[in-house]
Amino acid sequence: MAALLELHSITKAFAGVQALGGVSFELLAGEVHALIGENGAGKSTLIKTITGAHLPDSGEMRFAGHPITHNTPSNARALGIAAIYQQPALFPDLTVAENIALGLETGSAWRRIRWAQRRRRARELLDRVGAEISADTFVRQLTMPQQQLVEIARALGASAKVLIMDEPTASLSDRETEHLFRVIKELRSQDVGIIYISHRLEELFQIADRVTILRDGKWVATHAITEVTRPDLIRLMVGRELAAVFPKITVDLGDVVLETRQLSCTRGGISNIDLSIRAGEIVGLAGLVGAGRTELARTLFGLTPADTGEILLRNQPVKIKNPARAAALGIAYVPEDRRRHGVILDMPVSANITLTILRQIASGGWIRFGRERSTAASFVERLSIKTASLASPVATLSGGNQQKVALARWLAAEPSVLILDEPTQGVDVGAKSEIHRLMGELARRGLAILMISSELPEILGMSDRIHVMRGGKITGLLHRDEATQEKILDLALGHHTQETLAS
Amino acid sequence: MTTLDLPPGNRLKRLSVLLNPQTFLAALIVAQLILFSATGTNVLTVDNAFETVRLSIEVGLLALALTPVIITAGIDLSVGSLLSLCAVLFGKMLRDAHFPLWAAIIGTLSVGTIAGLLNALLITRLRIPPLIVTLGTYSLFRGISEGITHGADNFTKFPASFISLGQGYFFNVIPNQLPLFLIIAAAFWLTLHRTTFGRALFAIGFSPEGARYAGIRVERRVSLVYVLSGLIASIAAMIYVARVGQAKADAGTGYELMAITAVVLGGTSIFGGRGSIHGTLLGLLAIAVLQRGLRLSDLPGELALILSGVLLLAAIGGNQLLSRFSTRRRPAMTAAP
Amino acid sequence: MIHRYKRELSVAAAYILLLIVLAFAAPAFYKDQLRAILVSNAYVLVAAVGMTLVILCRQIDISIGSQLSICAIVAALLTRSGVPVPLVAIITILAGTLMGSINGYLIGWLGMPSIVVTLATMTIFGGSLSWIRQGASVNDLTGFQWFGLGQSAGQWAIVLLALLVFFLFAWALRNLAAGRAVYAVGSDQEAARLAGIRPRRVTFAVFATMGALTAIAALLTAVQMPQVDSDTGKGLELKVIAAVVVGGVAISGGRGTLFGTIIGVLFLGTVGPALAFLGQPTYWEKAIQGAVILLAVATDALRGKE
Repeated sequence: MAALLELHSITKAFAGVQALGGVSFELLAGEVHALIGENGAGKSTLIKTITGAHLPDSGEMRFAGHPITHNTPSNARALGIAAIYQQPALFPDLTVAENIALGLETGSAWRRIRWAQRRRRARELLDRVGAEISADTFVRQLTMPQQQLVEIARALGASAKVLIMDEPTASLSDRETEHLFRVIKELRSQDVGIIYISHRLEELFQIADRVTILRDGKWVATHAITEVTRPDLIRLMVGRELAAVFPKITVDLGDVVLETRQLSCTRGGISNIDLSIRAGEIVGLAGLVGAGRTELARTLFGLTPADTGEILLRNQPVKIKNPARAAALGIAYVPEDRRRHGVILDMPVSANITLTILRQIASGGWIRFGRERSTAASFVERLSIKTASLASPVATLSGGNQQKVALARWLAAEPSVLILDEPTQGVDVGAKSEIHRLMGELARRGLAILMISSELPEILGMSDRIHVMRGGKITGLLHRDEATQEKILDLALGHHTQETLAS
Repeated sequence: MTTLDLPPGNRLKRLSVLLNPQTFLAALIVAQLILFSATGTNVLTVDNAFETVRLSIEVGLLALALTPVIITAGIDLSVGSLLSLCAVLFGKMLRDAHFPLWAAIIGTLSVGTIAGLLNALLITRLRIPPLIVTLGTYSLFRGISEGITHGADNFTKFPASFISLGQGYFFNVIPNQLPLFLIIAAAFWLTLHRTTFGRALFAIGFSPEGARYAGIRVERRVSLVYVLSGLIASIAAMIYVARVGQAKADAGTGYELMAITAVVLGGTSIFGGRGSIHGTLLGLLAIAVLQRGLRLSDLPGELALILSGVLLLAAIGGNQLLSRFSTRRRPAMTAAP
Repeated sequence: MIHRYKRELSVAAAYILLLIVLAFAAPAFYKDQLRAILVSNAYVLVAAVGMTLVILCRQIDISIGSQLSICAIVAALLTRSGVPVPLVAIITILAGTLMGSINGYLIGWLGMPSIVVTLATMTIFGGSLSWIRQGASVNDLTGFQWFGLGQSAGQWAIVLLALLVFFLFAWALRNLAAGRAVYAVGSDQEAARLAGIRPRRVTFAVFATMGALTAIAALLTAVQMPQVDSDTGKGLELKVIAAVVVGGVAISGGRGTLFGTIIGVLFLGTVGPALAFLGQPTYWEKAIQGAVILLAVATDALRGKE
């Protein structure tokens, strides 16, 4: 069978960070080709290259034998490449029928909308994916999995030749999953090529024909699914080289600073979280994207306050209703989305660093500009933040330096608990090791650090203990000396009973 | 790397100083003065300067109050209506309820504060967009004012001591309300540009979420801004009454839009985060000089409206170009190794 | 089907309640006032149709009051100089479309914020009118009042024209691809672009249409008076926005229908006369309108919180 889609030695770098380093990939018509790898292995970059959202730096792409030179989203769509993401991109204020119709229908702006036909078509497509959703419902009223089914229906309607599914079953029930698989099999029989991304490895054995494993932006292996076993896949996914030597310092641990007991938050989707962090300790929080790690951090920081359970700070129960309260209690959070939450891009470096400590740089509400400057300057020096001046907007800094500003603003607040959410994501190698060194130094000074990271070597290299989360719950706790990439990934991927894992 | 960034940064800086709205406005005001002193009579006299200022104090106060509102990416359309309500209630308290002057003043200030609080609560607690909330209270406040006066009642005969606030002069030249305005303007400038509260407002304007993640109590800060806006509207109401010697329901009609024009003209971004009190003052002055200059030159006063509208478009268009320029620069600087 | 119009139905229910109360408290209200309400709100409805498009598109237009004043004066001046009524109508609508297109160009193509642009054009249009006309009214309009049809027939013509515009747009907004594009752009501009819709063009068209509808509204109100004043449209913008918001069109774009808008217009248009009829002083009308707006949006907000 001829290859439907071929990629040869695709490379792509972002701000000097290599996301794809010469990846080749082949998709046949009538094949379900699974794509797996850890977070950050390069799956989404590869997908975005195929859908035209990213232009590769080099490499070649062919569709049905014809080279694609300048891929754009609209080109890709015209070729019949459709993608369904975890976060559906639908119009919330329009009905299901209309969402499916938009993008499929073409014609003049003055053409008449055939509602009955739209509804019938939507009904048909929804039936094919087995979604029990009325075509007249507004999308904003649907749950996330329902929206996903609508997206799949829309892709079916576009009679896509290549269908990319990014974790389509992540939020589906067993019955919905089963139905989806039937749809996938039907599509396969119609010669559609499907790229299937999933962290549920056992699914792959049910649905995939072949599997390609990526690691660190590189191609690792492609196998027929019948040739491999689950442990094989895990072994292929991990084994990242430890790029940097982690400057882990042994620190004498102090008392427990932060502790949670059966902490739950419905809005954040986390339940019964028990964890503790001691002074001088770095606790790693591992898990897949969507496992509830960021949600836990947001609850601890008062952004989505807990419904039930307790948070204890130095053995005192505390209520954390908003970030201001969290900050006052000495809890700091360096968020994952640094550009939106971590810094204020349009404000100067100095104002960003001092935003959390406005009270300290002021007397009686009056900002002491000298104090502001000297505080900011001292952090710029201490974290070696590279900026043209203290007055430059943070937007003009590189990613790594922006992250250092996000860190600096909370170090300035002198917290006792520091939560770091993907502290080195999208940061160049130099800044990365600087941030790691700083973490060690902070731990030595008695800070309790909770580090969320999707990068297993980082988790293994920096943490004293590692909690693994899955589905909003903690599924395991590993000590530094017993933790391995395989064990963590196994816990994060699930399908084991709690008892066998708890150590 | 630091040195690599400098040249484009400097060039950008020099350009933005040149194109900065304040520089532009200052130049504009000077140009106007030169032009009008050629076409009009008595333009460059001390008397005229003070008279120009005296007539724009109420709008000026509203513009001061609106500057922090717009900096937080909000808007307050209700200030003109609230001015009317406060003016009418002030008259009512004095004439019908026989309040002593001091009590009427305190009463009026309280009305303004409470009205501002109403806006604040609807905006921060119910999370209704400020445009809609203040559109509703725009109607509500003016409506209550019309209801109380039956649309026709006119309060006059205010105590002479009070009227002198709006019609009297220090040393026969400086209008009495000017020092008050300057004190309030200075207070606003200091608050916005020199205090932690002001700093928080800028952060909120740029990114409310970013500010929340930095531990700032966004709702409280924003509430205070709207309360302050109500309070200032009540002060403006009393100065208005003192200047014109009467209080009717139609007081302050259209003032909100004049004030917004001055604020935006002064370089405050309607998207929040950028702006200054001195910019607003320059914006006010540019409009005031324009109006007064046209009148003294025997040119139609409507030209002032048209020209201020054109200026507003030019200011926004210029800002747009400038920001496009700087964002295009940004990736290049970020990508520096 | 019903859930689609839930918001509209709840305003309609409130309005019907008002009408029932009136039926008991003042049965004569219907005989005397109903037609007057329809006639005096016909032009508000037409402008509100345009404003609904604008707000659905996640924009705002506060220049329509000035636009309407200009259109009314243009129509009156043309009539007085002997131009036949149909031609007057066409030229007036062209004038409105032109003004709307200026807004549309600045907002749609140059990407300037609509609130500031229309604030500026409001003062420019308004200032130009009073400069040229010095506030003078236009009198001696033979054959213009009631379109030369006589009072009763003229009144019905006004109401029917307004309803014609309303139903035409209600149909088009629901059943033409162009109408759906307005919703798509207001709902998510980027997603609309990906679906092959051109947001800039849609935004421009919406403002141009707003101008045309403002001109029609100007005609419908100007013909009701023996003379046309130069401040006919004063305060119209906020009145119309209020009606649209009460009718449940979300200021954040993409949500709402024209059926909500017509009820909003009727609701706000009935409150005042009803008060007067019940022996209450009319000068509370504006206050009650304000309260109705706040109540409507506060209810929405509270419902959204659940």
